[in-house]
Amino acid sequence: MNQRPRLFLVITLLFFLLPVLILAAQSFSAPWRFPSGSGLDWELGSYEQLLQSPMLWKATFTSIWIGFIVLMLNVVIGVFTGKALTTVPLKGRPWVEALLLSPILIPVLAIAMGLHIFMIRAGLADTVLGVIIIHLVPTVPYSIKIFHNSYQQIGRAMLEQPHILGSGFFRQLFTIELPLLKPALRSVTFLTIVISLSQYAITAIIGGGRVLTLPLVFFPFLESADASVMSAFSLWFAVIPVVMYTLVEAVILLLPYSRLPWRNKR
Amino acid sequence: MKSFSLKPYLLFLPSVLFMLLPLYGLLTAVLNSFGRHRGWTLDYYRQIFESKRFVMSLAFSLQTALIATLLSILIGLVLTRSFYPILEKITPRVSVWIPMLFPHFVWGYLVILLLSETGVAAQLLTAAGWISDPQHFPVLTRDPHGIGIILTYVWKEVPLVILMLLPVYASIRPEYYALVDTLGGSVWNRITAVELPHLLPVLMETSLIIFSFTLSAYEVPALLGTTFPEMVSVLSYDWFYGSSWQKRPLAFAAMVSISFVLLVLSFIGYGYLNKARWRAVKGNRS
Amino acid sequence: MKKKGLLMLFMTLLLAACSSGGSQEEAWKDMSWEAVEEEADGTEVRLYMWGGDEGINRYIDEWAAPRLKEAHNITLERVPMDAAEILQKLQTEKQAGKQDGPIDIIWINGENFKNAKENELLAGSFTNKLPNFNEYYDTEDPAFQTDFGTSVEGMEAPWGKVQFVFYYDADQISEPPSSFAELQNWIHDHPGKFTYPRAEDFSGNAFLRHVLYAQAEEPSNIYENSLSEADIQPAAESTWAYLKDIQPDLWRSGEHYPNDLTELDRLYSQGEVWMTMGYNESRAESLIEDGVFPESTRSFVLEPGSIGNTHFLSIPFNSSNPPGALAAINFLLSPEAQLAKFKPDYWGENTPISFDQLPEDMKQEFEAVDRGESVLSTERLEESFLPESEAAYVEWMKEQWFDEIVQP
Repeated sequence: MNQRPRLFLVITLLFFLLPVLILAAQSFSAPWRFPSGSGLDWELGSYEQLLQSPMLWKATFTSIWIGFIVLMLNVVIGVFTGKALTTVPLKGRPWVEALLLSPILIPVLAIAMGLHIFMIRAGLADTVLGVIIIHLVPTVPYSIKIFHNSYQQIGRAMLEQPHILGSGFFRQLFTIELPLLKPALRSVTFLTIVISLSQYAITAIIGGGRVLTLPLVFFPFLESADASVMSAFSLWFAVIPVVMYTLVEAVILLLPYSRLPWRNKR
Repeated sequence: MKSFSLKPYLLFLPSVLFMLLPLYGLLTAVLNSFGRHRGWTLDYYRQIFESKRFVMSLAFSLQTALIATLLSILIGLVLTRSFYPILEKITPRVSVWIPMLFPHFVWGYLVILLLSETGVAAQLLTAAGWISDPQHFPVLTRDPHGIGIILTYVWKEVPLVILMLLPVYASIRPEYYALVDTLGGSVWNRITAVELPHLLPVLMETSLIIFSFTLSAYEVPALLGTTFPEMVSVLSYDWFYGSSWQKRPLAFAAMVSISFVLLVLSFIGYGYLNKARWRAVKGNRS
Repeated sequence: MKKKGLLMLFMTLLLAACSSGGSQEEAWKDMSWEAVEEEADGTEVRLYMWGGDEGINRYIDEWAAPRLKEAHNITLERVPMDAAEILQKLQTEKQAGKQDGPIDIIWINGENFKNAKENELLAGSFTNKLPNFNEYYDTEDPAFQTDFGTSVEGMEAPWGKVQFVFYYDADQISEPPSSFAELQNWIHDHPGKFTYPRAEDFSGNAFLRHVLYAQAEEPSNIYENSLSEADIQPAAESTWAYLKDIQPDLWRSGEHYPNDLTELDRLYSQGEVWMTMGYNESRAESLIEDGVFPESTRSFVLEPGSIGNTHFLSIPFNSSNPPGALAAINFLLSPEAQLAKFKPDYWGENTPISFDQLPEDMKQEFEAVDRGESVLSTERLEESFLPESEAAYVEWMKEQWFDEIVQP
């Protein structure tokens, strides 16, 4: 049992931390050419080049804004549906679940192309709102899934009890369900933001290039010859989920029954 | 019990509204694949399935997606099972989720940076004298076997598997294990009697999610795939965005075909789950 | 309640579907240039263009946009997108009947122009309205009359002129090959040190068309004739033979071809291959400047010659600001803008402007520009110049190359 943490540490360092450290090292140094005998040539040029670009900042704020709204909508849809799937008597529930999962079983590019004409007619194409809506397609099924799993772990009994005791819908939601849904909230935050940040093709189609998110700036440079700038840009992508995660952790601390850091642990 | 009237169904309202989006999108795609604007026809399906390029691409995609899915599930399961008490703590958990911080195409770039023939690994091995020339480093990216694609996906999806499984493991009450132990059960009994019933639905769903994503996503194969064989998503994208618009319905037909494969698979999966769950309910409620 | 929500949504859809359409278009066609500039004042113009070259992007963002703002009070917004995707977008917008599109100017040429024109995605003839085009350009130049064999008819304005060259590292290679036959030998002598992007890529396709030119009896057999598979059969056969012959000695034994030029550039910059290529005879300059390409990078052309083409700016059918687009294009065609583009600082590409029509001092400024050591002399480039073939060859090459070379 004693070796387990050590083994875990080795695996984590090697496969999860080291790659990112290498990325960081590359971003702070000129492109590497070790076999020719040269070592690390530390410099900040790549960040200078990256952070000076006004487009990067614009795209970053657009991405954060879109990610935030998409996350909120995901939480709303996910919590409602997760609860519904757990508490509402349904015939053929597994089929309902499969149906709700189906949006991520269909190539999202096909959905986006199919929706594009509708979006144009509804005045949603080329707008941030349109991009937010299309970003729901690859994210919401995950959120429903995660919240549903979580509600199932909570169990129907736990959900019916406050109701019997006379709690209102929102009181029950905030005092009982959300605190119990903390792990799910974390997962949904992560997934939603990252998936939203990963969408190049559908953002390009629905946003029409006018909604400039980070992938739209990044993707054309993906093959770029300058490894240092690319590494710096790559790391930039991770900053947004980290910021979001921190924010959500802070919000979670505000939920009732949270173990606040300044209170006694356990 | 009166309160269980129509009111609870209101909880489904947001998801019903949401579902209109993908269903409308898919419907349009299906209609286009049957040539909505040029007269109804099955010709596009005949064309793609007669094309050697498409059929080989489909086979390659299925193979790549299957390997990536199985490896991700297996590794994720082993890691979660071995380390979930550690993963309960925030630092280890966040460390394992690091790859999830990055979009797929960014992680794909990282794989190239690390493992291409001039990548960091090849350079270090050369500098250390293990191989005489970076050229002797095995071809792991943009290779005809899809190794680079699989590597990227597995690396990215293992944390997802952990993410999906962790709440399940965290929720298994220790009493169950105690019960198994008291009754003289082995570790194997622990897995089959306690964990598997909890895990099965999540495992099934996670596999489906990963399989469909790896089968149909464009960005990673576009970055890490080779000229031949190519993933269906890349081929469809070329048909879609290539300069010749005559091929657009082909792209729709290809994508609808993939969707069909995936929908059939999920029907099978869910049908099986449905049965298993029914059996479990019958067995447990005594 | 659920039903009501659905109903509401459908109502919204219906309303939205009905409210589209209605046009105030075409008015710009009859405007005087003064009126156009007046209309353009204070507006925003969105230029959709390929965004894969840092030097080009900086030219627009750092040089052109601020000056356009200052001179004409027009805000120029650059939107990076591949030309094929832009056309796809326009096509869908046309299908949906969208009249006030987001795109005001597109950067286009060749097969994309052909597709756009054939599918009526362009606003129409406008170049005769542009004062700078009429004054400083040889409007009768055949290079502006046809684009990859498609008649231009004033629907796009020439923005730049490029020629296809190969790049090599002079420290590695003392004497680069001078013909396609010599290149073949060089590849066999240096296995793994050469490759070309796949046929779907713009530059890869151009390389393949060069081989086709070289295998034809005369390059003019190709570029003077419209595509007829029967006529070019012998040339095509020997093209495939040539490509199959070099394949085993290409980088990675020809099992993988770079997806695009940027990937080939990366291989070159890392020393995996010793040559790269591309339209724009001076594109290495800014890459050398940034330290991506080695400083010893030089360029060369192969017999029977190097294909050059003109690229253009055009206005889509549903631009919501045609006067702004016209004023911006006119500005980008001005001698000042062309001079800045000609200098190696940002972009460094050749200009379609006619030196003879320039004022003397401007002409001297153009002639004084040092394009950099990696750029071949104007004479060398001019004597090797070959025109583009018809756009249909591009599509034909994509199909055939995959079937003949890639698919086993």
